[in-house]
Amino acid sequence: MAVEVLEPFLKGDTGRNTRGLLRLIILCTIAAAAVASRLFSVILDPWFNFRATKYLVQNGFYSFWDWFDDREASHPVAQLVYEPRKPAEEPKRTRTWHPLGRVTGGTLYPGLMVTSGIIYHVLRFLSMPVDIRNICVLLAPGFSGLTAFASYLITSEMTTSPSAGLLAAIFMGITPGYISRSVAGSYDNEAIAIFLLVFTFFLWIKSVKNGSAMWGALTALFYGYMVSAWGGYVFITNLLPLHTFVLICMGRYSPRLYVSYSTWFALGTLASMQVPFVGFLPIRSSDHMSALGVFGLLQLVAFVEFIRQQVPNKQFQTLLRGLIFVVFVVSMGVLVLLTVSGVIAPWSGRFYSLWDTGYAKIHIPIIASVSEHQPTAWPAFFFDLNLMIWLFPAGVYMCFQQLKDEHVFVVIYAVLASYFAGVMVRLMLTLTPVVCIAAALAISSILDTYLVAENPIPKETQANGQATSDSIKSAADVIKDSLRSTRNPVLGIYSYVSKASVVGAVTTYLLLFVLHCTWVTSNAYSSPSVVLASKLPDGSQHIIDDYREAYYWLRQNTPDKAKIMSWWDYGYQIGGMADRPTLVDNNTWNNTHIATVGKAMSSREEVSYPILRQHDVDYVLVVFGGLLGYSGDDINKFLWMVRISEGIWPDEINERNYFTARGEYRVDDEATPTMRNSLMYKMSYYNYNALFPAGQAQDRVRGSKLPAEGPQLSTLEEAFTSENWIIRIYKVKDLDNVGRDHGSAVAFDKGNKKKKTAKRRGARVLRVE
Amino acid sequence: MKLSGVLSLTLLSSLCLGAKRSSGGTFENYHAKSQSYAPLRLDDASYDELTATPRNHSVLVLLTALEARFGCQLCRDFQPEWDLLGRSWAKGDRHGDSRVLLGTLDFADGKGTFQKLMLQTAPIFLLFPPTSGRNAKPDGQPIRYDFTAGPQSAEQVVGWMSRYLPDGPKPAVQRPLNYVRIITVTTTLLGVLSFLSVAYPYILPVIQNRNLWAGISLITILLFTSGHMFNHIRKVPYVAGNGQGGISYFAGGFSNQFGMETQIVAAMYGTLSFATIALALRVPRMSDPKRQQLAVFIWGGVMFGMYSFLLSVFRIKNGGYPFHLPPF
Amino acid sequence: MRWFVSLLLITLLGLVQGLSSTGSRLLVVIEESSEKAQYSTFWDDLEGKSNNCRGYKLTFESPKNDKLSLFQHGERAFDHILLLPPKSKGTSFYTITGDVDLPSSGLGPALTPKLLLQFINQNGNILLTLSSDSPTPTSISSLLLELDIHLPPDRDSLVVDHFNYDTASASEKHDVLLLPQGSRIRSDVRNYFGGDGTIAFPRAVAQELGNSSPLLAPILRAKSTAYSYNPKDEAEVVEDPFAVGEQISLVSSMQARNSARFTVFGSAEALENKWFDRKVKSVDGRDSKTANREFAKQITAWTFMEVGVLKVGRVEHHLSSITGDAPGNDSVAQLGYLNPTIYRVKNDVTFNIEISEYSYDQLTPLKVDASDALQLEFTMLSPYHRLDLVSISQTPNSTVFSRTFKLPDQHGIFSFRVNHKRPFLTNVDVKREVTVRHFAHDEWPRSWEISAGWVWIAGVWITIAGWVAFVGIWLWSEPAYEQSKGKKMQ
Repeated sequence: MAVEVLEPFLKGDTGRNTRGLLRLIILCTIAAAAVASRLFSVILDPWFNFRATKYLVQNGFYSFWDWFDDREASHPVAQLVYEPRKPAEEPKRTRTWHPLGRVTGGTLYPGLMVTSGIIYHVLRFLSMPVDIRNICVLLAPGFSGLTAFASYLITSEMTTSPSAGLLAAIFMGITPGYISRSVAGSYDNEAIAIFLLVFTFFLWIKSVKNGSAMWGALTALFYGYMVSAWGGYVFITNLLPLHTFVLICMGRYSPRLYVSYSTWFALGTLASMQVPFVGFLPIRSSDHMSALGVFGLLQLVAFVEFIRQQVPNKQFQTLLRGLIFVVFVVSMGVLVLLTVSGVIAPWSGRFYSLWDTGYAKIHIPIIASVSEHQPTAWPAFFFDLNLMIWLFPAGVYMCFQQLKDEHVFVVIYAVLASYFAGVMVRLMLTLTPVVCIAAALAISSILDTYLVAENPIPKETQANGQATSDSIKSAADVIKDSLRSTRNPVLGIYSYVSKASVVGAVTTYLLLFVLHCTWVTSNAYSSPSVVLASKLPDGSQHIIDDYREAYYWLRQNTPDKAKIMSWWDYGYQIGGMADRPTLVDNNTWNNTHIATVGKAMSSREEVSYPILRQHDVDYVLVVFGGLLGYSGDDINKFLWMVRISEGIWPDEINERNYFTARGEYRVDDEATPTMRNSLMYKMSYYNYNALFPAGQAQDRVRGSKLPAEGPQLSTLEEAFTSENWIIRIYKVKDLDNVGRDHGSAVAFDKGNKKKKTAKRRGARVLRVE
Repeated sequence: MKLSGVLSLTLLSSLCLGAKRSSGGTFENYHAKSQSYAPLRLDDASYDELTATPRNHSVLVLLTALEARFGCQLCRDFQPEWDLLGRSWAKGDRHGDSRVLLGTLDFADGKGTFQKLMLQTAPIFLLFPPTSGRNAKPDGQPIRYDFTAGPQSAEQVVGWMSRYLPDGPKPAVQRPLNYVRIITVTTTLLGVLSFLSVAYPYILPVIQNRNLWAGISLITILLFTSGHMFNHIRKVPYVAGNGQGGISYFAGGFSNQFGMETQIVAAMYGTLSFATIALALRVPRMSDPKRQQLAVFIWGGVMFGMYSFLLSVFRIKNGGYPFHLPPF
Repeated sequence: MRWFVSLLLITLLGLVQGLSSTGSRLLVVIEESSEKAQYSTFWDDLEGKSNNCRGYKLTFESPKNDKLSLFQHGERAFDHILLLPPKSKGTSFYTITGDVDLPSSGLGPALTPKLLLQFINQNGNILLTLSSDSPTPTSISSLLLELDIHLPPDRDSLVVDHFNYDTASASEKHDVLLLPQGSRIRSDVRNYFGGDGTIAFPRAVAQELGNSSPLLAPILRAKSTAYSYNPKDEAEVVEDPFAVGEQISLVSSMQARNSARFTVFGSAEALENKWFDRKVKSVDGRDSKTANREFAKQITAWTFMEVGVLKVGRVEHHLSSITGDAPGNDSVAQLGYLNPTIYRVKNDVTFNIEISEYSYDQLTPLKVDASDALQLEFTMLSPYHRLDLVSISQTPNSTVFSRTFKLPDQHGIFSFRVNHKRPFLTNVDVKREVTVRHFAHDEWPRSWEISAGWVWIAGVWITIAGWVAFVGIWLWSEPAYEQSKGKKMQ
């Protein structure tokens, strides 16, 4: 790694300019490395964001703002009434969320699209005609380079050691935990959000340090940008107030803090309310209440401080007590009142499920069902941030060494983020920056200690400890004792042997880290989700391309307006690759609609068919891994469908009925009647045992033998089954032409005719008309 | 009702009377009883009388086995909830507008019924819908409710009932105030407050002790980064035996783990970071070159060995992980 | 203009190739060509040799014929089928429908129930005639069972009526029913079989229509005194007859969802020449001429799509604000505001549909009964509006129905739907999908237009003014204080 090779020169007596230049070069190379390491494979996903961006670029910002997404890009809303258009007989249109449509402007975070839109127009202005698609593909890597730079800045705020920032930058650049969400073509909100996160934190630190309104305003600005880009902004919204609160509790209130926080809160809240999707949440929902409360507290403290300067101490104490007590009681009362009266919304589900970890599974299965929302096992941590995971605590410990405001921030961030990352895999993303910072602190302090060429002269290495200026005093006089390990002064390392050994070891670790990152990125995070790669026994790689096969089949063999019903995981892909309207897609903003699909999948044909007709579904698509042993199929997701629909129709769907008496989830002979009659089961196993000799049908995922005779379908007919049976597509039959029910129609086609109803028992039915 | 009347004309008059009484007065009698003691304690006879068709009321029977020798923990856990539900229902609907009766049939009192229904498990709810009168169900078959999801709260049961019951008053569950608890809480709070106010000068330095906070935050971080929340949410076993009697400390597979495993991992992380801290902060502050040399080697060795062990453990979890350090 | 020309064209085509709106290739399945003579008048009427030109091209085929096939290259080889009962008793064909339980089962390999059903599914019309003195092939009866039409279980049972029979021909057997020409089954149903003649129905086979299928409708029902029995084994006493009274349907119709028509005609004999014009004498002594010929014409006309065929012309919808004047003028189309793909919630929208009815030889404007209505649904998952369409104008051969209404306050993908299904009329199911979008950001009323918002607006401006004033005062307050303050602040 380039950094510590260059380290001696930077420490040497060469002038500042040389060092600055070197630093710049290093940063550029780091950014280049960060970008390059994300180009292993390119596949654009998710499609929706790309479509939205295209729409934005084509029709301008305002019509994007008002976009009603029925997946027909031909009519921007604004120009409809004013411009005459050719009378469209039956325009080609494919839609999402059929038939509800989607008020896109109000239900998405526009930051991502607007960013790439701006880049696009800037490039056009510079007379560089670039396809918007390329911008979308390369946006995430580009921003990861910026993220590296931002983490350099923020780390440089933490310590005086110049190497720490560079280390943090390279860590941030190549750590898998961040690459996982920012490979080329992963065009999702996180692509820019992480940069915004880190940079906002940097600005916040800066403003707290300098107490300047300018930095505070900049923080607010980027906070607003963050709000417009990612739902995770709530993390910032709660972290900054927490930092302020802790500082106040530590008795570290200072005008700097007051200025920066007030500026940030006022401007930031206003900025965040400009996003339609957020709207009035910042003053209505409990997620944002902490910021408001701390704001109030800060005003209070500031006022108290002001008074302290005016009145003598004795009266002041009583006044202070009384004041604080009264205000506290009043504000609490008001808050409770508002929450009870419902003016302030309770915690939003996703956020609440972070605190009460059992909550989501019971109340909002739709959130719990997402794989990203599962808790994180320890290998995932090690996998994503290899050696940094154990450098991390060390770095945090070093923050305690000279506990300045920014260090407090890092500590809080570290604790909170590691909790969140433990609860949700997805939030590993928010943990990664602080891990990089802390790890960089740790490594750099080792290297700075052990990479001193000549034998120690205390003064020189002392620079580490006390280079900091006035603000440490404010810290020092509050907290008397420092860390036990840093009581006695720094002397340095005496023997070259130890220097060499430690440096060698650390270098080895770092090289290993680089290798690890490369390996992880090339193996785990760069395989597109639509193409499955499997290792054959002989070790060669076998590509399973059923998804695209099926989507292209749909694209070429179904009418343009055919509505496809599938579980929502595949919505974007069907919309994008097959270009057909779907009932639900990955944007899970309408629970009821998804539950409807779940109900159709998990009930009997007689119940499902009316639902399918009502939503005029033409084709139903299921994913079935039984033949290949592909475990991510719909039968394994089935219970979530059941749960979600049970949440809406508790007395029609009951999860219990899908388990055997002994509470097992089975698909073989033991399977419950409800299970075996459910549409999902039938569609998955229809005709499946035709592949095997009689009675030998085998499900390779569940590892169980299937019933001797397969399920019968009467209201659907098999339309397509992909090569490895991963995708199965069924066509929904129309009503019978001569008014029979489907069952008897199928029976008739099979050749067994109705027996003559020679003597009908009981009272005969008379025809009224 | 009418049908039974027609039948009764042709049948013996005594039967007729019996039929009439059973369909007419039953609810009133039992409802009167239930006002004094709810839920009703049934035995075979009263159970049959209550659930005899035709009936113009709904019956909810809890079939349970309370005696210790059956060792039905679930029954005993649920019983207080059930009593509470019964009481609040009786209180909520004094005039029996809901025409619902709640009864408990203990195995001790109703062996016959248990055998008749061929029940192996307890507790079980049976909800008998009315078969005559308004909103009657043609088939008197009871709706069954198993305790598959562990012990239920009274509210959950009421919610389940009211889904199947005809519309009518459905008194909500009122939990009695637990005065003892309130008093204890308040006293303890006051005690703590007073203690704090007294001991404030002594506590303050402790609170402001950096080492304390450093320790706390490091421990929490180690706890979370070693996947403790996963254990907490997924309720993983502490350790599991491998096939041949021994204990397997590390669960196979990338995405599952044991409780002990996480502790081991946390320990490893802790050691590693402690070694780092020692190398970075302790060692350069040592005045004696020899001891410093020694310390460097010790800590460096510890770090190296531990890291290689960590890598080897990770290879267990994730087969095909190519990297490793000697010696492990 | 385009639509008018097309209508004209259709009309001309109709004139050229007979009356039927779907085609004129008629297959007559008759077992022995010797019997053709008995129906000669009927054939002439169909071919239109005589008075009017109905111009069907008749093809006589025997079910025995192996080369007979309803389909050619997967398409219908004929437009209509007329099935006459197999005369010969006991002659047996093995059907390939998989059942060999009865020897005298089928009509041969070309006319299995499957094929006949397929013929219907491909918009072919079938007129099936039964006769009591020849057994109904099981393939036919099983086909009828599929359509929920039930025949007497035992062969050669027939319908008698001791109060309405022809004393002249059936003085003993009472098996020639005399019925007044059809009366409408419901008040709001179009009656294509009306008239004041008397129909003679000799030796009819009773049919009973199931209650489930909405596609069935009786055309001619027996009198309440009629019943069906088997002269062979129920000669003395009849208990539990197959069907009695009005439940007996002598001529019944099934119109499939694709509007293909299938008619069961109870007595083939009634179509023979001898019954076409013949004196009959009713019980109360009045004697009259049979109207069988007229009735046969009506039945075939309906079955072979000469009447009761609805055609949908223009379907258009537009913002009603665009055209104040009556729709139907071409300015709308030229402006290009016609049939936009998207509307906004709460728009006022006008929907026009033009429907014409084909009767015998030309398209006539459709008239909807006063007791009935042509309805428009504006639906997404479930109808948000269901409105009666009113006829606003009439062209020589079509009626334009229209309705103006305000879209619901719900965005989504809606569809205008006209779903008009009535007995004896072909089904109309027109569906036009449109998107209904939400208010755009600049379509809401401005803040100052909402009087309730004035308080807040005032608040905002006062705050701003106050702040400016405060800054002013702050800046112009005396410098010494400012400096000291500044010191404190740092």
